[in-house]
Amino acid sequence: MIHSIIKRDGRVVLYEQGKIAAAILKAMEVSGEGNAADAARVANDVQLALESRFTTDSPHIEVIQDAVEQQLMNHGFNAAAKAYILYRANRTRAREASTSLMKTIDEITNIDARISDMKRDNANIDGNTAMGSMLQIGAAGAKAYNEMYLLRPEHAKAYREGDIHIHDFDFYSLTTTCCQIDILKLFHGGFSTGHGYLREPQSIQSYAALAAIAIQSNQNDQHGGQSIPNFDYAMAEGVAKTYRKAFSRRLRDVVEDYLDLPDESEQISAILAQVEETTGETAKLESSKAYTDCLVKALCEKYSVDNATAVKLVERAAKRSAQKTDRDTKQAMEGFVHNLNTMHSRAGAQTPFSSINYGTDTSPEGRMAIRNILLALEAGLGHGETCIFPIHIFKVKEGVNYNETDINYDLFRLSMRVSAKRLFPNYTFLDSPYNLQYYVPGRPETEIATMGCRTRVMGNVYDPTRQIAYGRGNLSFTSINLPRLAIESNGDEKVFYEKLQAMLELVAQQMLDRFEIQANKHIYNYPFLMGQGVWLDADNLSMDEDLREVLKHGTLSIGFIGLAETLTALYGQHHGQSEELQKKGLEIVGFMREYCDKKSQAMKMNFTLLGTPAEGLSGRFIRLDKKRYGKIAGVTDREYYTNSFHIPVWHPISVYDKIRLEAPYHALCNAGHISYVELDGDVAHNVEAFEAVVRCMHDAGIGYGSINHPVDRDPICGYVGIIGDVCPRCGRREGEQIDPETVDQLKRKYPEMPAFQGIR
Amino acid sequence: MTVKTMSEKMGQGVGFERIRRITGYLVGTMDKWNDAKRAEERDRVKHSTKNDA
Repeated sequence: MIHSIIKRDGRVVLYEQGKIAAAILKAMEVSGEGNAADAARVANDVQLALESRFTTDSPHIEVIQDAVEQQLMNHGFNAAAKAYILYRANRTRAREASTSLMKTIDEITNIDARISDMKRDNANIDGNTAMGSMLQIGAAGAKAYNEMYLLRPEHAKAYREGDIHIHDFDFYSLTTTCCQIDILKLFHGGFSTGHGYLREPQSIQSYAALAAIAIQSNQNDQHGGQSIPNFDYAMAEGVAKTYRKAFSRRLRDVVEDYLDLPDESEQISAILAQVEETTGETAKLESSKAYTDCLVKALCEKYSVDNATAVKLVERAAKRSAQKTDRDTKQAMEGFVHNLNTMHSRAGAQTPFSSINYGTDTSPEGRMAIRNILLALEAGLGHGETCIFPIHIFKVKEGVNYNETDINYDLFRLSMRVSAKRLFPNYTFLDSPYNLQYYVPGRPETEIATMGCRTRVMGNVYDPTRQIAYGRGNLSFTSINLPRLAIESNGDEKVFYEKLQAMLELVAQQMLDRFEIQANKHIYNYPFLMGQGVWLDADNLSMDEDLREVLKHGTLSIGFIGLAETLTALYGQHHGQSEELQKKGLEIVGFMREYCDKKSQAMKMNFTLLGTPAEGLSGRFIRLDKKRYGKIAGVTDREYYTNSFHIPVWHPISVYDKIRLEAPYHALCNAGHISYVELDGDVAHNVEAFEAVVRCMHDAGIGYGSINHPVDRDPICGYVGIIGDVCPRCGRREGEQIDPETVDQLKRKYPEMPAFQGIR
Repeated sequence: MTVKTMSEKMGQGVGFERIRRITGYLVGTMDKWNDAKRAEERDRVKHSTKNDA
């Protein structure tokens, strides 16, 4: 007789035959064969089988389950046996997931982020802080749940084993990636952050402060980065408001001073109101002749002064107002940069991941904003530190800022001086054919802009009348482990393309599954993004409508990494080594793009191809592949797969060849792309050389590019530049102290050195 | 603690900050990078500005 059994955790409990019968009946119901009597008969035979093996000992639960499978098959209930086996496998998976979840949480709780690679998966989350750890624990729990309950088994397997990577998997059931925020639309009439209502801003300081708040608010409704596509156009409005107010006050002051009058506030306000009414214009940084003439005439009449005097008064007021506005704009831009580097987001574990795009507004107000944001970036933070956020993106356009005769060419030049020191701005090129096709002069929403490290939206298959950047973003993205497909194809091109086709279909289906979850959300799930009409067409939604249709303005992006390793696995070399392989590389990426285009047309949704950034991913895929296939030269023999379509970082190549070879992939990767080149410090600090590289990118048809060079800083003496082993300013080595005399000498030489630098 | 005594120990144990582009963006200093990206950064070679490199 069986009296007791041993459970998985080692506990001994009473044996109950009824429980076995119940489990068998469940499997029979699922498979649609057998009834309660059959279940009882099978359970009886299970008991008999066990009794023949266990006379005194207790059987283990796994042994009993083996016996159940065996008896179901003996009785001819094959479908029920299969259902039972599946049920067992699922339970095992759930148990393992839960154990591994606990282990993960244990690591998050107890291990220093400097030791735990997992905790440095995203470099912008500080895994050592309380809130950072809580965020990581939440993410680990959500991932375990999503894999168990939301993914189809084939998608879960592909994700777990590293065929694909589902990005931001912790947010799978919760939200979408990112958005290009049209802050002008948001500002007009004021907006609510979800915690309070803000009136329409009335000065450049408030424009800048509210822009930071808009980024912060939206960051809490989405899991990706936030971007302002029209930073210059928006700030220009704030500059204009500040100028108009300043002009009214300065004009009053000069009139009072010149005519020795006590208080002319009301009179000046009345004159300006009347001039505005007559001319239909306000006072501007560069007021029209009609406006100035009208104002001069009004002053002559009111104060009985001659024409020359009135002109002088107006000129003086205008000059002082421009100076005041420039000072305010400078402070506002500095405040904005400081804000975005210190402002807390996502439970305090991060600063908002933010981008701003600018460079094409040619109005005097827009130009003032651009110049001052660049100067703020150049100055750095309080102790001269390089700003990490926002990402600055300078939009390059012929006829606007690219040629020496263009009105904003001076700002383009300034941007390069700043980038040579601070690594930002990056450059986006509006003249590249795939960007130029959308560009309409005078409509900034048709200018390509970038979010985060490379994401872009512009084309719109869902609504071809709305091919714009504003109010749109990426919904989700999943990347393919391209090198693995190549390794598994054993050099057979045909097999590779078959595998690639199948993988593209798997990924598209997985993203559509995710879209179903996203589409069933409501406006109240995203009080800012949807509630404030930041997302395109969200302001037409009612409270009980789901988000399906408006979300279709967004993109579903299929990404890839390791084109170089893929080519090496298939053909023995990568695209930096031969023109023939460059052709092969373009064929592979072109094949993926064609799949996306066809899928877009079939679904009337925006499937796009992404050159995946691969911060966390670069190591994950290759670790798994090294385990599976061992070290393959040029493929799995490093610690990372190469970023997207890049020429490998270790391959010696000239700047110009790298740009020439990578540019055609920009045209294909319509969800996002970036190329960067590595310059040594001396070249980078030479603005002519720097400009030559940016111009080469423009002419080669690069979409988005930047120039890398070393930016080091000694927190003790405040030196920013290239530091080898020894700091060129104070002469100390890493970790060494410097003596008080040297400190005093340095302070005399560099008065900008803060008093307590290095003591933090 | 006076400013003087702080100055005497100024710099002890304090490293240099090294800022690099991680993908399209920057992160604080490189000690926050994951192991794979650190290895990638170590392997990066400079690109020559001469056409025939």
